[in-house]
Amino acid sequence: MARARTAVHLLVFSLSITSAALVAQERPAPPDNPARNNPHLGNKESIRSGLALYRVRCADCHGLDAKGYRGPDLTALLGDMPDEKLFQTLRKGVAGTEMPGSTAPDDELLLVIAYLRNLGAVSAPETAPTGNVENGQRLFAAQCTGCHRIGMRGGRLGPDLSRIGAARSRSALVREIRTPAEWFPPGYETVTLVTKDGQRIRGTRKNEDAFSIQVMDTRERIQGYLKGDLREVIYEKDSLMPAFTAARLNDNDLNDLIGYLTTLRGPDPTVR
Amino acid sequence: MRTLLLAFAASVTLAAQGAAPQVTPQDLLDGLKDPGKWLTYGGDYSGTRHSPLTQITPENVGQLASQWMFQTGTLGSFQTTPLVVDGIIYATGFNNHAWAIDARTGRPIWRYRRNLPENLHVCCGAVNRGFAALGDRLFMTTIDAHLVSLDMKTGDVLWDVELADFKVGYSATVAPLVVKDKVIVGIAGAEFGIRGFIDAYDAQTGRRAWRFFTVASPDDPIGGRSWPPTSDAWQRGGGSIWVTGTYDPQQNLLFFGTGNPGPDYYSNAREGDNLYTASLVAIDADTGQRRWHYQFTPHDVHDWDSTQVPVLGDLTINGQPRKVVMFANRNGFFYTIDRVTGKVIVARPFVETTWAKEIGPDGRPVLLPGHLPDEEGTKTCPDLGGGTNFMSPSYDPTSHLFFVTARETCATYFAFDQKFKPGEQWESGGTTRPRDQKNFGALRAIDPVTATVKWEFRYPSVSSSGVLTTASGLVFAGDGDGNIMAFDSRTGKNLWHYQLGFAMRATAGTTYMLDGRQYLLVPSGSMLTAFALPSEQRTQR
Repeated sequence: MARARTAVHLLVFSLSITSAALVAQERPAPPDNPARNNPHLGNKESIRSGLALYRVRCADCHGLDAKGYRGPDLTALLGDMPDEKLFQTLRKGVAGTEMPGSTAPDDELLLVIAYLRNLGAVSAPETAPTGNVENGQRLFAAQCTGCHRIGMRGGRLGPDLSRIGAARSRSALVREIRTPAEWFPPGYETVTLVTKDGQRIRGTRKNEDAFSIQVMDTRERIQGYLKGDLREVIYEKDSLMPAFTAARLNDNDLNDLIGYLTTLRGPDPTVR
Repeated sequence: MRTLLLAFAASVTLAAQGAAPQVTPQDLLDGLKDPGKWLTYGGDYSGTRHSPLTQITPENVGQLASQWMFQTGTLGSFQTTPLVVDGIIYATGFNNHAWAIDARTGRPIWRYRRNLPENLHVCCGAVNRGFAALGDRLFMTTIDAHLVSLDMKTGDVLWDVELADFKVGYSATVAPLVVKDKVIVGIAGAEFGIRGFIDAYDAQTGRRAWRFFTVASPDDPIGGRSWPPTSDAWQRGGGSIWVTGTYDPQQNLLFFGTGNPGPDYYSNAREGDNLYTASLVAIDADTGQRRWHYQFTPHDVHDWDSTQVPVLGDLTINGQPRKVVMFANRNGFFYTIDRVTGKVIVARPFVETTWAKEIGPDGRPVLLPGHLPDEEGTKTCPDLGGGTNFMSPSYDPTSHLFFVTARETCATYFAFDQKFKPGEQWESGGTTRPRDQKNFGALRAIDPVTATVKWEFRYPSVSSSGVLTTASGLVFAGDGDGNIMAFDSRTGKNLWHYQLGFAMRATAGTTYMLDGRQYLLVPSGSMLTAFALPSEQRTQR
C-alpha cells in the first residue's frame, strides 16, 4: 500500500552530522535515549540492514560510501560524536541545513548508527580548517558577500551561508564554487522572465505553478508574475553565481576560501 | 395529556418508519441519473466520474466562484470522495473523523469521531477515501481495520465489525462499494507483510458474506503455483486493496485492482508471478469467486500497486462493439481489456517507461534488462509513485477519451534482505530520486481504442489529484501546486483555475445540482470548497 511516499518519506530521514551538533553534545543526552543501549552495534545482520536503510535514506546527500556528496563526509565526522548525540541528530535534524529530522522508528535509526559505526572513522576529521582562514574571509568579503549572507551581513540572492560549514563536505564546496551550475539548491534555479513588452527580469525561481511564477530578481526584489502576462519564461542552465574556475580563483585561494567556509557553523537556532 | 403524547409519539414513529430509504439499490444502479446525488466513490458503478450535468459549460466556467468553505479543524488531509444525498454532504476525513454537512451552506450537521488505538501500523497516514451508502446507512472502513455503519441522520454507530487485526499491520482506507445488499471492502497493509483480501458484509447486520484472498494459497489451482512451493511466503504476500473497485451489473462482476506483493523490493523469497497481486481481478458479487484475472506486473519489485480505478466502458474496436475495462496503471502502461474475457485488447505506455519494452501478445510485459533492484541501486522509470496512482481518472463516453493525471518520474530502487517481524514495516528496500532527475506532472487525454495520448496539459510538479468530467465537455483536475482547473475536454485548453491553498491529494471534484444550481465540490487539505456560477450565468443547456 505504499503510495506516493517518495520525496517526503526520504526527506524525513536523510542524514547529516555537524560540529554544531558536537557543540550541542555538551548538553546531557535525554535519559531515555535509545542509542544508549543499541542492540545492533556489531551485529552483522543489523549492519547489513543499516547499510540498506542508509543507502535509501541518507546516501543521496552523504554519498553511497558515506564520504560525503552535498552533505558532510560522515566517516570523518563521527569519531568524536557519542551515539546518543548521533541519534538525536538523526531524530531532530540539523537546523539551518538541508538535514531534516526523522519520524522513522527508533530501531531504524539504531540500525543506521550500527552501520555507520561499522564504517569506522578516519583519523583526520575534515572539519579541521585548512588553508589561511583570514585570507579566505577576505576573499569571501570581496567576491561573495554581494549575494551570500553570513549572519546579518551580505546579500540574499544566493543561499545563506551562515552554517555552510556544517552542511557541506569539502568536496561539495569545491564543486559548488568551481561549477555552480552543476546543481541548484531548491529555490535558486536561474530564470529569466520576458514580459510582453520585451522587458527581461533575471533572478532565482522561488516557486511556480502552471499559471504563475515567483522570483527574486537580481536587485533582490521578490515578486510574483502571472505567466499569462509574460511572453516567455526561460529556465537557464547557468547559475547566477559565476563559475570560479582556476583562472578566477587559484587553488591556494580556493583552499583558503574553503578553510574559511568550513568555520561557518553559525549559532545553532536549536541551542538556547 | 398522556394519551395525546403517546399518540404523537406513535405518529412520529410511524412517519419515521414509513419514510423512504434515502439510497436504494436501484439508486445505485442509476448512478448519476439523479442530478442531486453522488452516491458512490466513482459516482456510479462504472467508475467513470463523468457527470451528465451541463449548467457549467466551457463558455461560462470562467465565471465559477467559491460559494462556501468547510474547514475540518483537524490535522491531516482529505482523501475522500464526499457523497451527496438530499442536500447533505457526507464526508470522511483523517483519523476516521466524518461529517454530515449542509450542501447549501457548508454548515456541519453532525460529526463522528473514532477512538483509535495508539499503536497503529500504517505506511502512509491515517487517511480515508470515503463513505458508501445504502438505505439510511453509511459505511466506512477504519484505519484500525474495522468496518463501521453509521446512521445517516445522526452519525451514530449502528454496527462495527473487525476486518482483521490492526496490531499485525492490517489497516483499511478504501471507500466501500455497496452492491445489492452487500458492502464490499478491502484490506491494506502490504508494507507490513499482510495477506490481502476483498470482503463482502451484509449491510443490515455487518455479518461477513464472503472473502476473496488477493494472495493465492497453495491449493489455488491457478494462483497457487505462482508462489514458492516450499515456503509460506504467500501468507504475508501483500496484495492490498485501498482504492474502490467498480461493478458490472450485467455480468454481476466486481473489478478490483490489487496491491503490490510483499516485501516490496527484495523478492528472492517470493519467486514466481505472485498472483493475484498487482492484478485486476473480476469476481462474482454474490459469491466472491474469481471469474478471471489479469496480472499487470508479474512478480512486481517496484511497489507498483495496481490499486487504480478500473473504469468500465463500451467501445467500438475494429468495427466490433466491446465491453471493456480501461486501466491506467502505476507501472506506466495504459490498458484496454475485454471485461468479459479478461484479455488485453491494447496496452501502451502513457509515461516514460523503462522497465518493459511492451506488453506482448500473451499479455505479459516484455521486460528490459537491468531493472531488478539491488543493494547498489538501479534506475527505473516510473518511480514508486508510478505513472499514475490512487487518483481517480475519468472517462467521457461521448468523446471516448480517458483522462488521467500522469506522473513523469524515475527512481533509483534499492533492495535488501530484511527479516520479517509481525507488525513491523517490511519493504526490504526503498528508493531515491536520481540526481538531476526533473519530475513533472500532466493531465493527459488518452484514446482507449489505440492507447495513445491525444493531448496533455503539463504541470511544473507532479500531482496526485483525481479527475472529473461533465457532459458539457469539461474536465476538472488538480495540479500538485494547489490549483483546481477546468479544461476543454476535446482540446485540453485551460479555461479556469482557482488556487485552493493546498493540492488535491487522491481527491477529485464531484458535482451535483441543488436548488437549480450546479455545484462543483472540491476536497483539498482539510477543506471542502463548493463552487457555482453567479445567478446570471446559470442557463441550462
